[in-house]
Amino acid sequence: MSLSYRIAYVFLRNLYSYKRFIVPTFLVSLVEPLFYLITFGVGMGAYMGAFGGKPYLHFLVPGVLASAVMMSSSFECLYGTYIKIVHEKVYDSLIATPVSADEAVAGDIAWGSFRGLVSGTLMMSVALLMGVAPASPVRLALLLVFMVFIGVLFGSLAMIVTSVAPSFDFFSYYTELVITPMLFFSGVFFPLDNFPPWMKTLAEFLPLTHAVRISRAVFTGEPAAGLGWSFAGLIVLTAVIFTISIRMMRKRLIK
Amino acid sequence: MTTLVTASGLTKKYGDLVAVDGISFEIREGECFGFLGPNGAGKTTTVRMIHCVSPVTSGTLTVGGLPSGIGNRALKMMTGVIPQEINLDNDLTVHENLVVFARFFDIGRREARVRIAELLRFVELEAKVGSKISELSTGMKRRLLIARALVNRPRLIVADEPTTGLDPQARHLIWQRLRQLKTQGTTLVLTTQYMEEAQQLCDRIVVMYQGKILKEGTPSKLVEEEIGREVVEVRIPQEDDERVLRHLAAFPCAHERVGDTLYFYCRDGHGLMRRLLELDLPNTLNRPATLEDVFLKLTGRSLHE
Ligand SMILES: Nc1ncnc2c1ncn2[C@@H]1O[C@H](COP(=O)(O)OP(=O)(O)OP(=O)(O)O)[C@@H](O)[C@H]1O
Ligand SMILES: [Mg+2]
Repeated sequence: MSLSYRIAYVFLRNLYSYKRFIVPTFLVSLVEPLFYLITFGVGMGAYMGAFGGKPYLHFLVPGVLASAVMMSSSFECLYGTYIKIVHEKVYDSLIATPVSADEAVAGDIAWGSFRGLVSGTLMMSVALLMGVAPASPVRLALLLVFMVFIGVLFGSLAMIVTSVAPSFDFFSYYTELVITPMLFFSGVFFPLDNFPPWMKTLAEFLPLTHAVRISRAVFTGEPAAGLGWSFAGLIVLTAVIFTISIRMMRKRLIK
Repeated sequence: MTTLVTASGLTKKYGDLVAVDGISFEIREGECFGFLGPNGAGKTTTVRMIHCVSPVTSGTLTVGGLPSGIGNRALKMMTGVIPQEINLDNDLTVHENLVVFARFFDIGRREARVRIAELLRFVELEAKVGSKISELSTGMKRRLLIARALVNRPRLIVADEPTTGLDPQARHLIWQRLRQLKTQGTTLVLTTQYMEEAQQLCDRIVVMYQGKILKEGTPSKLVEEEIGREVVEVRIPQEDDERVLRHLAAFPCAHERVGDTLYFYCRDGHGLMRRLLELDLPNTLNRPATLEDVFLKLTGRSLHE
């Protein structure tokens, strides 16, 4: 793989283009957390009683945090990147410069991760305003770092889909068949404890399950079973998926 | 003059399709070298291999002594690319397009500012510095592509049909700028379908067709060799050909019937014309031979798709 500091140049290019969209994207990124936190957290939470001694919102926030990062980074690396390849031809002009195709892709994954971080941070801010805070400021900082990490994971995963997408419509298969189900089977909104065993097993194969588990443990400060394995698994998975995504995009970009 | 680009048996395949079919050529430092050919001839494919964005299937290709290849950053550093398709960054302004490009080439902020101001003046776009790309005319976009290609002060410029879709004024401005670059010692690789463009800019050209090089030479020598000095066009029905040809038998001219016209390629068009006038035909024309005649003769006068 040919990766270097030039990844930052690609990120910079995205930052320049972002300037014009920053207000609308902030609005969108704010509406989503408000939607989740108010409907599920406040509305449903009222019927849920205490969750391990705390209001439901304390259970919900770390889960929704992880899924918000997943959503943003995925969408950026699906639609955002596809537009840059097919419609805007940004990649064509990039690879004619000393920036390699690998760096262009890695730069876009970094960008997707950043967009995830922005969504997560906005979500966190709303939660803080609602009085739902991580156990300590250090944990807040750790969560931010963790968001960057899962942004890279889901950004890379989306990049693989983009590398083979013949058209825009293709992405709805991925979002409808992978992303949305993952949202409901990964313990974002309720614990997995009451799932039948086969569903629990299935959930263990979903990366979001592990991301949520870690996010929740960091947020609440309460250790969960298998946390180390979740973390190790995600690191290996991210490395593998990142590598595959770059390889596959290279095939699409270099003819 | 030293050789900058050397290709030998250069081949590019897309699956079963042979886009470039074992061509060999040399481009000298400081010259303008043109690839002429109809649609699909393989011009873009060839120059994309030269500027290292498309892998070579077989054969060898070196630029400045280095093998051309996707990963060759050193070559990309010294090359400026004016692509056939306008791929400016529509999310950025004119100025930002150049700023971002300068970063891609590791050019520092202050140096970039100086160069960008200079380049915008060079392509006469100072007034558009803060404009969005969508607010530019096609001619302005093409000029901005030139400025962008010059950000890294390239030793080699690859211009793929740089004036397609432009009006005469815009085209002439681009020609002037490209000639200016050449006088500064930059090597220019140009592809074009406009014969006038090749005649205006190129020191040497190759005519490409179906992935192969048909002819190579200076524009004037190619015209002289392939066509002669003059062309006479006679627009008559095909039945009359025999009568006309018999009448003109004394002249050593090649002739060709294409559609509704009989073409004569001659050294002495005037003599032929005088004799032709005796037949009192309504529709005849005597004109100097051009590269276009060479092009059409070599690649056929029918449409290629
Ligand atoms: N990415 C690609 N995949 C498959 N075939 C391709 C690809 N790019 C070009 N070709 C084919 O290669 C051949 C040469 O194309 P190329 O674009 O090099 O021609 P050209 O001389 O530049 O034509 P034009 O004047 O229309 O730009 C054509 O038959 C074209 O269809
Ligand atoms: Mg072309």
